[in-house]
Amino acid sequence: MALVIRKPTFDILSAAKWMIRKDCRALSSLVEKTEETEKRPVGRRARFQNPALEYRHIFPEFLPDPNPKWRNSLREKMERADMLKRRSQIDIPEFYVGSVLAVTISDPHAQGKTNRFVGICIERKGCGLRAEFTLRNVVDHQGVEIRYDLYDPTIQSIQVLRLEKRLDDKLFYLRDALPEYSTFPFDMDPEILPEGTPVPVNTVQVKLKPRPWLERWERQELKGVANIEEHLKEKDRIRRELRKTPWEKYDLMKEYRKTIPVEDQTEIWGEVHNQLNQLRLSRKKMFKKRPISTPKPQLG
Amino acid sequence: MATFNMKILCTTLSKLSVNRVTIRRNAYYKPPKYRPPHWFMPKERVMSEDMLTQENRDFIEEIKQDKLNSQLALESPLAHVDQHTVQWTPFTRRVGLIARKIGNYPLWSKDGKKFQTTLLQVVDNHVIKYIPPEEFNPMRTKKICWKEKRTLGCLLVGSETVDPSTVTKDYCGIFNSVGMLPKRHLFRFMVSPNSALPTGTPLFATHFRVGDYVDVRAKTIDRGFQGVMKRWGFSGMPASHGVTKTHRRPGNIGAGGEKARVWPGTKMPGHMGNRWRILRGVKILRINTKHNILWMLGVGIPGETGAVCYLYDTVLPLKKLKIAPPFPTHPASNDLPLEYYDESIHPFEEQTIMFDEV
Repeated sequence: MALVIRKPTFDILSAAKWMIRKDCRALSSLVEKTEETEKRPVGRRARFQNPALEYRHIFPEFLPDPNPKWRNSLREKMERADMLKRRSQIDIPEFYVGSVLAVTISDPHAQGKTNRFVGICIERKGCGLRAEFTLRNVVDHQGVEIRYDLYDPTIQSIQVLRLEKRLDDKLFYLRDALPEYSTFPFDMDPEILPEGTPVPVNTVQVKLKPRPWLERWERQELKGVANIEEHLKEKDRIRRELRKTPWEKYDLMKEYRKTIPVEDQTEIWGEVHNQLNQLRLSRKKMFKKRPISTPKPQLG
Repeated sequence: MATFNMKILCTTLSKLSVNRVTIRRNAYYKPPKYRPPHWFMPKERVMSEDMLTQENRDFIEEIKQDKLNSQLALESPLAHVDQHTVQWTPFTRRVGLIARKIGNYPLWSKDGKKFQTTLLQVVDNHVIKYIPPEEFNPMRTKKICWKEKRTLGCLLVGSETVDPSTVTKDYCGIFNSVGMLPKRHLFRFMVSPNSALPTGTPLFATHFRVGDYVDVRAKTIDRGFQGVMKRWGFSGMPASHGVTKTHRRPGNIGAGGEKARVWPGTKMPGHMGNRWRILRGVKILRINTKHNILWMLGVGIPGETGAVCYLYDTVLPLKKLKIAPPFPTHPASNDLPLEYYDESIHPFEEQTIMFDEV
């Protein structure tokens, strides 16, 4: 009898658990459309209340690789400690794919032993100390891309010249776009956003050069490309339709394997929250000091 | 008469019994004696429901905790022994360590180069038993390479204390006889008699120093039955140009004529991985004394994350120890620095690397 009673309650419990789980899983580090649109009008202040929500976009490299074969809690802890040690030495700002950065590194072969490069971040990937980002610029009509390790101790400074997001996660299509979309002057001035504003999304749509292309951009469902249709033939459109995988967005298991569960995330952010907050505060202090000293000579 | 007939019948019947197996043995061939080492006992136990009351369970739990606490409270036997009585020479062999592979991440050198490293954690290593060379009688195997069997003793080292109820009684007996709790991993190190250690000596990551080279023995990743392309790196055959049904196959496996057979040792598909392999001469770049973690140069250490590996001083002649290491092992102490770095490695808490203009 007892068993008979217990069984339906178990069902309800498991269903409830599943529901909770589903909600939790939505806290992935992947950018989601629905959530973004909900969050933006609320502004930054409100998002601070749950650090997991805030930090997973700002510091995506603090979340480990979700592959269970490579996970180990102690290694992840050591790795995070090392990352924070490095962050205490150099200010690694918040930036996204699409932001324009200036990176200064020590280079034994360069004149003056330092090298500064300005470019748009077209990719950001890797977990932990392996985190890296790629900058792209066009110098003397020649496209240049440099990949930097985020925690490389030869990096002297990372400066965000323009903080913004783009419509896509990766901007590799800039390689096939007209050069003006990835040309940035090396003496660009940093654009300072007023405090408390959300990170703006640049909705510019780039124009691609005619074929041949490096990749089949038409199959990647890119939002940041304007003229993709005019370069396609009928054959390409048919192939694109055949290659579509519309069921993948309903694949819960795939989503699950790509993300870190929220229980792990709260643990991780709880561990690094204090130190990250201190670093952020010290950065704000530095930031407030700066405008008093620097813009005056420019005006003069 | 009847009894005589009965005897004949009995002898003939006994010859027919299955128990008697004739073993091939002649002047050219003597089968090796396969017998496990005398300290080996089966470890895995079939778990059964014991039908205990909650009180009894609690009592057992209490006893387990008591034993564990008494084990933790044990002082290292080396604490009161003067270590300088025996001297290290380049010909002595020290103990090794049992470690667990916990992942890899990069470190940077002081001149800005990136090095991939593997992290090995030394978990709860204790010396279990020392068997002097006179008593040590190893299992005979097909390969006879025991040149130094008269001179080296056998030191058993265990790692990771487990609940005694999860392993067999026989396996527990090895540890009970020396007053220790059973360990998950038990490994034998061949050591010189003067570097023998008393039972219960804890071993730490500081047994090695940064900059030393060690050999790492571990089991490679089990990849199962694999084809010739993955197992031996054959290039396979073209995907198109009229090739049918042979894209990942080995092709020809032998010639005709005199050699009209498959030669022994021909590379063919088969089981790949899950074999013991030794990576020799791996450099230690960094040591954490709190968690007992070693950062080893390179990613070539066999096994997946979580695999157990055995470390010992390298045998490579050019990378052998030259200066005396902690001998017989590094004693337990609380006043060690948290981290040791190799002189070539840049610690993350130090300032950004700058190159001076010449």
